[in-house]
Amino acid sequence: MIKRFIARNAPGYIFLSPWLLGFFLLALGPILASLYLSFTKYDMVSDPRWVGFANYEYMFTRDRRFWKALEVTFTYVALAVPARLIMALSVAMLLDKGLRTIGLYRAIFYLPSLLGASIAIAILWRQLFEQNGVVNQVLAVFGIEGLAWITNPDTSLYTLVILAMWQFGSPMLIFLAGLRGIPRDLYEAAEIDGTPKWRQFTRITLPLLAPVIFFNLVLQTIESFKTFSSAFIISNGTGAPADSLLFFTVYLFNEAFKFFRMGYASALAWVLLLIIGAFTAIAFLTSKYWVHYENERD
Amino acid sequence: MTKLTRRGLLGTAAAGFAASALTGLPAYAQAKTIRHYWWGNPERDKRTFAVIDVFQKANPTIKVSGETIGWGDYWTKMATQTAGRNMADLVQMDYRYLFEYVRRGALKPLDEYVGKSLMIQDFDKGPISGGMVDGKLYALNIGSNSQVIVHNTRVFKEAGIDADLINWTWDDFAKASEQITQKTGGKVKGSDDLSLMIEVFESWTRQNGHEFYDKDGNVAATVDDVASYWQFWEDLRKKDVVRPKEKTVILDIPIVESGVAVGDTAMSHFWSNQLVGIQAAAKDKIGAAMVPHKKGGKPGQFIKPSMFMSLSRDAKDTDAAMAYMNAWVTDPEITKILGLERGIPASPKVRAALQPGLNDVEKLSVAYFDAIQTKVGDLPLPAPKGAGEVRDAFMRIGTDVVLGRAKAKDAATQFVDDAQAIVERAR
Amino acid sequence: MLTSCALQRDRRERNGRILKHVFLIGVSVVMLYPLFWLLASSFKPENEIFGSLTLWPSSFQVENYTKGWTALPMSFTTFYINSAIVTVLSVIGNLISCSFAAYAFSRLQFTGRSFFFALMMMTLMIPYHVVLIPQYVQFLKLGWVDTYLPLVVPRFLASEAFFIFLMVQFFRQLPRELDEAAMIDGCSPFKIYWAIILPLSLPAMGTAAIFSLIWTWEDFLAPLIYLNDIKNYTVPLALRLFLDQEGQSAYGQMFAMSVLSLVPVVIFFVLFQKLIVRGIATSGMK
Repeated sequence: MIKRFIARNAPGYIFLSPWLLGFFLLALGPILASLYLSFTKYDMVSDPRWVGFANYEYMFTRDRRFWKALEVTFTYVALAVPARLIMALSVAMLLDKGLRTIGLYRAIFYLPSLLGASIAIAILWRQLFEQNGVVNQVLAVFGIEGLAWITNPDTSLYTLVILAMWQFGSPMLIFLAGLRGIPRDLYEAAEIDGTPKWRQFTRITLPLLAPVIFFNLVLQTIESFKTFSSAFIISNGTGAPADSLLFFTVYLFNEAFKFFRMGYASALAWVLLLIIGAFTAIAFLTSKYWVHYENERD
Repeated sequence: MTKLTRRGLLGTAAAGFAASALTGLPAYAQAKTIRHYWWGNPERDKRTFAVIDVFQKANPTIKVSGETIGWGDYWTKMATQTAGRNMADLVQMDYRYLFEYVRRGALKPLDEYVGKSLMIQDFDKGPISGGMVDGKLYALNIGSNSQVIVHNTRVFKEAGIDADLINWTWDDFAKASEQITQKTGGKVKGSDDLSLMIEVFESWTRQNGHEFYDKDGNVAATVDDVASYWQFWEDLRKKDVVRPKEKTVILDIPIVESGVAVGDTAMSHFWSNQLVGIQAAAKDKIGAAMVPHKKGGKPGQFIKPSMFMSLSRDAKDTDAAMAYMNAWVTDPEITKILGLERGIPASPKVRAALQPGLNDVEKLSVAYFDAIQTKVGDLPLPAPKGAGEVRDAFMRIGTDVVLGRAKAKDAATQFVDDAQAIVERAR
Repeated sequence: MLTSCALQRDRRERNGRILKHVFLIGVSVVMLYPLFWLLASSFKPENEIFGSLTLWPSSFQVENYTKGWTALPMSFTTFYINSAIVTVLSVIGNLISCSFAAYAFSRLQFTGRSFFFALMMMTLMIPYHVVLIPQYVQFLKLGWVDTYLPLVVPRFLASEAFFIFLMVQFFRQLPRELDEAAMIDGCSPFKIYWAIILPLSLPAMGTAAIFSLIWTWEDFLAPLIYLNDIKNYTVPLALRLFLDQEGQSAYGQMFAMSVLSLVPVVIFFVLFQKLIVRGIATSGMK
């Protein structure tokens, strides 16, 4: 009986052992520590002092900037995730249809993502979107008078959404890898049957790409909730102007490292974790209805 | 978490002690290593590593590990190392952060070394006292600076500005701004909009007779102080003689993006040790003016240490660390390498030795420093915990005024309330 | 009749192709603009980078490159070697350990699988900045600070859940009959992993390799925290040494070195993206 149990489970645990080791020896401790710290007042210099739920209470009842940070982050996620995914998927499909120069385009389209959230990008973005920047020069050709997009609190967040769209390289690559896995002959058969293109898309591409779409959706959502570098660097770490770029993690970072409130920052982190966790759980629960895997098909 | 760490560290220390008792101490005599951590730039790093070389040659038993990173990332790493009780033995400190670190117990006082291993008795008292917190010396001044209104001398000349730039008033400043804007046809605006510069506001409120913080660490600047300050700039904005608002609301911009460096304004606010950096970025020759005075007001501007060197609570070999620190400010060869790069040295001897070798910008900063000596006020009282956050709040709430989303008076009321709440929460 | 139809279709297809190229080239310009900008800035004199809107430098400062390489206390040769060590080890670690974990999660049955999977997903969601300090304390106790171990060892222990999840999604797309057939032939789980799953997942592995390389190469925060001695600095850390927000910076040299730092990544990208093309995975299997 026990032997059978072991025999059944052994391969799984052996293959999982690096991860298990890493998780229990390296990852779990810090995670639990941050949970503990979220119930303390901790300035990183003196010892943490237990304060119960005070951090959470302050957050929900008195901290105006907490709500502002949530608003900024949710707006960003709602706009950036779909925009980036649609961009990535359409370009990936365009590239997938047997262009000889695909390698070149793929490299070109990935370039913006290579620049990541470097200081160069911060400087460039500020120059692009300033009053007499390139964007407004282009708009002027069409007779549109632009504004100082990046320093106007009403529009600054959208420049970051555009940045996210423009750096669609990584979901695009993943989509491409997924598209490569769809058997060509399915399309050929559909072509012979005279199935229209859009139908091929909904009948073949979408269902077979579902696991990859699902991956990108979940990952992009998680990453967008955690967006830090771009907002931090473009606003010089402040979330300015007028807190319009106060992403949740930027707020959290400043609370921790600028204002010495690591305890409070940990509480913020756990609230964010719960929010992201809820969204991910919903995604996983609904995935039953639209994501089907080859190795689970009967 | 930290409790665990400390126990861990104690354990290691105990084990180390046992080991050294077993093997005998001599084996450890060679292994004196001290770590020195500073924020820098290519120029400063080069000079500092040269200093380390000189020091190691003179003290072969001490090895100095130089650790450097830019200002922006410096404090993140510092906080992490502090939390891990693994601070470098000697850390570079900034006036803005000194109180935050001292009040939380991260630094060791230096008083017991003064006159024994730290020979700074003949240094100027003013600059040295800048490193005192609650009656103890926690930080050694390694350069002084003061606020400065940097201006473009070419534009000033062309616009015919002839004000006395040491004794001028806010009215003179406003007039100069108008004149410059007018003479250049708006191509160069008079000045950067300093609405969000709490450092300049601090001078303003002191000119009105109020410190920013009182001795109990409460906010002493009044709503009127703040409102009148923001209103002053509002008026200049209305006349369109300062940098446009969309440039102003980007906070903490690098100096290369400031108006004087870029060339779209004739004046910006800086610290005097930054003159070299600005000159390197600007096309025209720059000059130095004091922060304008209030007619009949008190002195507002002050001289403060631009950078400190501090002994951290994690320093193990304090003798070696103090030897290094002492060499930094007294050794002729070392002080010559350092020059004025970190600010004006507090030692009259060192200053005299440096005088002949100064270049134009350095001469400018020394001359400026001499000129303001009698015009500045006392150093403000040490700031309370939370001062850094108050600075952020000032910029954030001021942004609403700059963008015309709030009246100066309302925003000022909100700021004073918020600032007081912040320092109370930090206690 | 028939031929004219075919001709018409040909023409329509050709027009479509041209249209597609025009579109792609248009998009490419937008995508490439920042690179041109970066290149241009890297040749500009220091006081022209800000404030001047023209892309073209008034004079070409090649010194930004020649001087930039040695402007710091260590030359960039050292930083490149350091970065290369960390990156190569990390990529290898990631690919091995994450594919192991992904294989277990996607194709093996064992008790607690979904529980561990949920834990793994959780590590993806936690904001890195709050575990930074406990993690630092932990590595400090191990005596690993100021070595590459904190940057590399976790990668061999599948610390990057992103890659596990990515591979899981791709592994799950392979038909189950593959393992079943192999199992009947007496193949061990390891044999199946090595001889069947991996070769059929080259696009996924290629993608993972590319991301892993780029992200490690560009990683800034972990090296900042864990590396103290400038001799151990990686390229992204070194790039930050050029800048001093409050003092004298060397933006031109920083841009020049940034351009150079992209070169190895682009080369790797071009080499490894071939893997993504070659994936024929499931075709012919069904």
